[in-house]
Amino acid sequence: MDRDLTPAPDTGTSYAEAAPADEGKYVYCIIKTPEEREFGPIGIGEDGNVVYTVRFQDLAAVVSDTPIRIYDPTRENVLAHELVNEIVMREFTVIPMSFGTIFRTKEDIVELLKSTYRAFDDVLEKMRDKIEFGLKVLWDREQVIALLEAQDEEIRRLKEEITNNAQSSTYFARMQLGRLIESALEGCANDYVVDIHESLKPVAVASRSNKPIGDRMIMNAAYLVERSREHDFDEAVKALSRKYENLLSFKYTGPWPPYNFVNIKLRLERADA
Amino acid sequence: MAVERAPAGTSLIDVLDRVLDKGIVIDAYVRVSLVGIDLVSVEARIVVASVETYLKYAEAIGMTGVASRPLVAPPAQPDLERVMAENVELRRRLEELS
Repeated sequence: MDRDLTPAPDTGTSYAEAAPADEGKYVYCIIKTPEEREFGPIGIGEDGNVVYTVRFQDLAAVVSDTPIRIYDPTRENVLAHELVNEIVMREFTVIPMSFGTIFRTKEDIVELLKSTYRAFDDVLEKMRDKIEFGLKVLWDREQVIALLEAQDEEIRRLKEEITNNAQSSTYFARMQLGRLIESALEGCANDYVVDIHESLKPVAVASRSNKPIGDRMIMNAAYLVERSREHDFDEAVKALSRKYENLLSFKYTGPWPPYNFVNIKLRLERADA
Repeated sequence: MAVERAPAGTSLIDVLDRVLDKGIVIDAYVRVSLVGIDLVSVEARIVVASVETYLKYAEAIGMTGVASRPLVAPPAQPDLERVMAENVELRRRLEELS
């Protein structure tokens, strides 16, 4: 896979002039492997370049050759990035790279692996045989309100009062009812999330909650699970979805590379050349 | 009916949610942390081969940034360096505050 790279262009030129002709390497993830590997012609970009390893000792970056260019996060591109991770993940524990990272040469990647060897090795060890699952929980607000009305005496009483005195001073009663329902909903969402989380905790290694997106979502979490406990985790999620049938809907995805559990930010410095 | 698990690549939003800013990010400061397990801080000085390479890295960082936000024209090189330096400084200050 090695090839002679053209000499670095004059640094005084603009990016637009410098970029197109250069070859680089798109990096998908870091794995541990004692030998070179190939994963087939599944690389990012139109050409379907071969995905292979660049190694330093037993660490390897999973890469494919690419012109040095900006990959927009289009559907094709992000799915290509994800697909490579998924395929590699079938056999290896991976530390995923964020989208769009291109190194200029093989030597630069080796340098990166060398400089961060202990850190990557440590992270890979901690992530060994673990996979990530995504769980988003959405609720049906109307159903929950109906349930609250059935359960909460105060809400029921106020509601009756409002219905019975349609013409008289129901303004404050309505205000009060609105507030009551809002705070009951909040408490309710919190109870659901706590219950779901407590049910999944015993079958997961770690969890992370992200900000829910939109009005209907009450939980947006990622769980790190031992491969050997994948089935248990599945069962636990299914049990929850049955328990909360009609009230909550679960969007359950995976297995993912452990994106939510690996947060590695690297700063690159210039060599004193 | 119990929920069915969807394979990872089926929802573009779920993929974007992960790949754009999570995992290994070539960025302004060095830190290795594993959320939820425990926290490991690693000071790693990564020295790249040449100035040229550094600039390509900087460009690669710019890529995701530009691509995921409203498109702005890439700054001229001296500007880029200045912006990168400012970025480092701002991140440092942000770290101090949090």
